[in-house]
Amino acid sequence: MQKKRYEMILLELFIIGIAVIYIYPVFLMGINSVKTFREVVIDVIALPNKITFENYSYVIDKMNYGRLFINNIIITVIGIAGIVAFSSLAAYILDRRRNRYTRLAQLFIITPMLIPFQTFMITLLKVMNVINLSGSRVGLGIQYWGFGIPMATFIYLNFMRTIPKEIDESAFIDGASTFQTFFRVIFPVLKPVTVTVIVLDVMWIWNDFLLPLLMVNNSDKTKTLVLAAYNFVGQYNTQWHYAMTAMVLAVLPSIVFFILLQKYIVKGVVAGSIKG
Amino acid sequence: MNRKRLEKVETFLFTMPAAILVSVMIYIPFVMSAVYSLTEWNGISKAVTFIGIENFKTIFLESKQFLNVLIFTGKYTALFMILSNVLALVLAVVLVKKIKTANILRGVFFVPYIMSMTIVGFIWKFIFSQGFARLFEISEWGLLNLSWLGNGDLAFYSVVFVGVWQQLGFYIVLYIAGLQAVPEDVLEAATVDGASKVKRFFRITLPLLGPSITICLFMSLTNGLKVFDIILALTKGGPGGATYSATLDIYREAFQYNNYGIGSAKALIFFVIILILTQLVLGFSRRNEVEL
Repeated sequence: MQKKRYEMILLELFIIGIAVIYIYPVFLMGINSVKTFREVVIDVIALPNKITFENYSYVIDKMNYGRLFINNIIITVIGIAGIVAFSSLAAYILDRRRNRYTRLAQLFIITPMLIPFQTFMITLLKVMNVINLSGSRVGLGIQYWGFGIPMATFIYLNFMRTIPKEIDESAFIDGASTFQTFFRVIFPVLKPVTVTVIVLDVMWIWNDFLLPLLMVNNSDKTKTLVLAAYNFVGQYNTQWHYAMTAMVLAVLPSIVFFILLQKYIVKGVVAGSIKG
Repeated sequence: MNRKRLEKVETFLFTMPAAILVSVMIYIPFVMSAVYSLTEWNGISKAVTFIGIENFKTIFLESKQFLNVLIFTGKYTALFMILSNVLALVLAVVLVKKIKTANILRGVFFVPYIMSMTIVGFIWKFIFSQGFARLFEISEWGLLNLSWLGNGDLAFYSVVFVGVWQQLGFYIVLYIAGLQAVPEDVLEAATVDGASKVKRFFRITLPLLGPSITICLFMSLTNGLKVFDIILALTKGGPGGATYSATLDIYREAFQYNNYGIGSAKALIFFVIILILTQLVLGFSRRNEVEL
């Protein structure tokens, strides 16, 4: 038994060592964002002699960070609201009314999960121009509805199957319409999946790069945090202290989100990848 | 309205928003891609000339460029799949053990996955250029002095490495979920029967992990094939096209060179390749799954 405990302690130390090396790049980004330019040039690895937040005030101002943050919030909220509303509605009826039509509709709505974005992005731009959804924050948010619905409907459907039909039948007998039943009875029961869907899609929409790159122009009024950070780092590629700060500012919201909702994120990742 | 009629209308109303949105954002552009792949179109002018399969001929016969891009993407995906699955499985096996810090460590490995891939690319660009140079000064370790992004052969490994680093946590989470579902009593029974640790892992745990392995192989396959952000931030396809991925090529063909027709044709070819590969991998790993 004693030998076994020894082994476990060694194993634990070993894996802690690996984890420290693994996360070191993130740490390096952090320490260089609070150094002066001189200190970064002299030694990128050393800890800062004196922590300075001047980089931050410069970058926040230069990047128009507050504005970008609001852009991201608007896009993400619009995206999530639509995905949750339309997917849960569809999944409810697709599960409760099983007939030829719903089977077909289910196939139609879920299959696009398998179509990679890059294979239709060229003509997507044209379609979005025609219906006037490109070039604005609201338009970008709405576009995420189409891309998020297949996966979200799939996750909702898996969960709907586990909700007994008696629940909606009793509401129905009490005189509730189908929509009322959904809204008052089913949607609240779906809450755990809704959290999963929200968490998964927030991570995706917040950090997405290619769609904003294609769809919103480069003005501060519309661009997202990651897109702005991409441009900023490209522009300041020799002034690493500013580049690092911009990168920290771009990932900080995700890291805070992760720390707060770690449990749900892990659950969501597992739920989101159950194969069909 | 009678009951049956009402139900029909409701079914329609509840599913229509989802169906319409999916059509507008995915199906219509997708079908249009197929149509535009048969045309010459610069994306701006209204003039779209129908040229049949000319674009496909250009892609395959007139230059080897797209072929090289596909070869890179294939090599990247293969190495990415092997590394991320093997490493994730090993780490997951350790992290399900009763280690005090297991929960924190799981979180640590997951952090890169929640960061935007673009930023991850930049972090590593900084480390490959600045960090390695400084570490070499301190350690004089020759490996650190190599041109990890400037040399074509090395840049390939650098890009794969960063891709794995970013995604590993995702596969660890999936493997941990799979490992936790392996029933204790079966493992205990095997122990009683005198099966060694190694034997238990390969004969019981691994076969029972079948569904997790299928998911992880499938996800790593599609994620590998679609690699874009990391490469754009890290090497922009360089040096000398050594890390030019299919998605980057499709993007540039259309949005930088304004060859929307050829770009659409490439996108279509790429889609067919993804479809075939994913079906092969799914079929292969499902055949090898074991049910308890």
